[in-house]
Amino acid sequence: MILRVVSICLALICAVAGTAQAQQGPLRIEITEGVIEPLPFAVPSFQPESGDAGQMAVDLARVVSEDLVGSGLFREIPASAFISTVSDFNAPVQYADWKAINAQALITGAVSVSGNTLNVKFRLYDVFSGAELGSGLQFSGTVDGWRRMAHKVSDAVYSRITGEGGYFDSRVVYVSETGPKDNRQKRLAVMDYDGANVRYLTDSASIVLAPRFSPTGDRILYTSYESGFPRIYVLDIGSVQRRVLESADGTMSFAPRFSPSGNTVIYSLTQGGNTDIYTMDIGSGQSVRLTNTPAIETAPSYSPDGSRIVFESDRSGSQQLYVMSASGGEAQRISFGEGRYGTPVWSPRGDLVAFTKQNKGRFHIGVMRLDGSEERLLTASFLDEGPTWAPNGRVIMFARETQGTGGSSSLYSVDISGRNLKPVRTQEGGSDPSWSPLQN
Amino acid sequence: MHTGHYISGAGHLGLIAFLLFGGVFRPDPEPFEMQEVSVLSAAEFDALVAASQSAEPPSEAVQSETPPAPAETPEPEIQQPELIEPEAPEPDPVPEQPAPTPPPVPEVSEAAPELPEPPAEVAVIAPEVAPVAVPRPVDRVAPEAVAQPDPEARPDVVEQEAATPDAPAEKVVDEAQEATAPEEATTEIVTEAAEAPKAAPNQSARPPARRPTPPAPQVAEAVETPDPTPKPDPKPTPKPDPKPAEPKVDTDAVAAALAEALGGEDKPAKPAPAAPTGPPLSSGEKESLRLAVSACWNVGSLSSEALRTTVVVSVQMNQDGTPQTNTITLTGSSGGSQAAAGQAFEAARRAIIRCGSRGYQLPVDKFGQWQNIEMTFNPERMRIK
Repeated sequence: MILRVVSICLALICAVAGTAQAQQGPLRIEITEGVIEPLPFAVPSFQPESGDAGQMAVDLARVVSEDLVGSGLFREIPASAFISTVSDFNAPVQYADWKAINAQALITGAVSVSGNTLNVKFRLYDVFSGAELGSGLQFSGTVDGWRRMAHKVSDAVYSRITGEGGYFDSRVVYVSETGPKDNRQKRLAVMDYDGANVRYLTDSASIVLAPRFSPTGDRILYTSYESGFPRIYVLDIGSVQRRVLESADGTMSFAPRFSPSGNTVIYSLTQGGNTDIYTMDIGSGQSVRLTNTPAIETAPSYSPDGSRIVFESDRSGSQQLYVMSASGGEAQRISFGEGRYGTPVWSPRGDLVAFTKQNKGRFHIGVMRLDGSEERLLTASFLDEGPTWAPNGRVIMFARETQGTGGSSSLYSVDISGRNLKPVRTQEGGSDPSWSPLQN
Repeated sequence: MHTGHYISGAGHLGLIAFLLFGGVFRPDPEPFEMQEVSVLSAAEFDALVAASQSAEPPSEAVQSETPPAPAETPEPEIQQPELIEPEAPEPDPVPEQPAPTPPPVPEVSEAAPELPEPPAEVAVIAPEVAPVAVPRPVDRVAPEAVAQPDPEARPDVVEQEAATPDAPAEKVVDEAQEATAPEEATTEIVTEAAEAPKAAPNQSARPPARRPTPPAPQVAEAVETPDPTPKPDPKPTPKPDPKPAEPKVDTDAVAAALAEALGGEDKPAKPAPAAPTGPPLSSGEKESLRLAVSACWNVGSLSSEALRTTVVVSVQMNQDGTPQTNTITLTGSSGGSQAAAGQAFEAARRAIIRCGSRGYQLPVDKFGQWQNIEMTFNPERMRIK
């Protein structure tokens, strides 16, 4: 009895002591709910450091602002709200003035032009921390390439704040479309990611489909009906020289895509009414058959490390997605939802697959993990198809076609969260976009 | 001593023996009683009847046999009736007479109750057939037909749109710009994504509601922390001094009390300044602080990896409720790389500074409790789903 009383007393003492211990030290709280909203930033016009750089300075700041706002992750505070201005690139920042307008990031820059050389330097400040975020950077290039330098500034700002790579200094190759549906003219075009600097690579004499950038961004694979039936061509962007990838007579080859190394092309080939997936060494022209089933298997896409591929097949009776070793073998089905899945594209991060889904008369662009889990539909419309990933794996571009005889196809982009769905500015209609890697 | 055992053992042995050999004492089954029955022919029966009329002694034996006779009647009955009828009151002939009579029929009617065979009637069978005739499928067809009108409705919509242009053109221009965004949103089932940004402004509106309260303490604190902020308004510097002095007295008293309670003389002097003093914060006060920081914790620009990273941030506070920005440090992280932790920490630090720029609403008399705060920012619920 006495022992019990003593033990109970000891337990109580320990409990009290523990409580006292818990009360010591800092106050601890856990925050699990935040807000998701664009981060407000301010970009005063860059400072011209040479006489003829005035307009360039204004334009550079405008492009930087458009890049950041266009990502959906940032919100620009208009210049009309500024309390103070930046008159000297090296002058100390009046943080209080920027805090007052709730600018959480401040971007200052300076521009100088010397002949055909353009120099751009910038600094990024964390206003509420009262400190510079990273160190200042400077870019040099040609005057004609001023937009690229603006994109590079945007990429640096984006990367420092979000912690992931940017995608602004990149290009997109796509099929430019003009004319009515029954007589649509198609030609290859390449442009900056934001629709600027459009350049046409082919004429509209023959139908072209599914252009794909090489890992280095200097070549393009595409399918053309120039010979009357689909053949795969390789085009050098710089020289606009092209050559056809050899294939046997009586066959149709299409849906090409580069391997991560850039030395191999994976594509679909139809022979005798059967469509399977093949690879071809670009240098030697030797091909290897990866699948051999009576089903239609196409739209292959490599994983970032090149060890696996994802493709679509109707071997199960309906169009579904499969993952397989890049050297062939047994394929594993990863899509099990309602509807049909197609045009899978492996994310540059390697964690997701983007796809086109058709279900109940609607088309969707969606993403899922490699095991088929966490399927997320990002869009829904009459016809959405052909997703392509931004270099940072955060944004997807695709083609959307409107309904009716007067309908047209145009390019759209959307964040993988499903936010920030918006059209991409193109001079004409567009389809089959393919995003390039970041430019050097 | 063992008497009981002996008795018990004997009893058990006896019981076992009885069970084993008890059959010996089982009474023999009673033998069947056999009775011999002699079959009499009609001639013998007549002779016996004739004898019974003269001599009685044998009648007993005969009577004793007669009762079973009727039991066996089924077969002999047919024969006996003819013989018995002339002889009279024999009970046997009686049953024969009823055969031709109708009365037995009514008895048969009792068999009719067997008619309750109604189960056979099972009128229920009819209802089983009936349901087939139910015209429910017609209802199913109807809704499909309703779907067709949709295309016909379009012209109406067009007409309505034609009417809208009448509205003020200049105002419509502004709406047209906004219309582009809604179209994007409406095309998405991803309405959850659209809801998130809508929720943001609601939370961002919270801080201002709390900020107005800490006016007096701010002045006092501004005096204590003149260096960090260029705000030091030379206003009521003397007033703040007495206020902070009061809590100090309390802390000393509490420290002394703790020292006495612990019984140590050396210890109380050291832990007193480090240990939190004053009454503990109530759950409501903690929740208020948590919500205030949450309102400024913007994870919208964080990378996917940073959204998987939990960071623990420590900060020292001024008495006016503002954080000492140079004391905000990352004390721990989990779930992501060092770079991701750095990004997550930046977002956390911005949250602490932004919403604390005017001072968090915290009780001054409990300053000892919240002088040092450790905040864990867990973005698990904020991830893309």
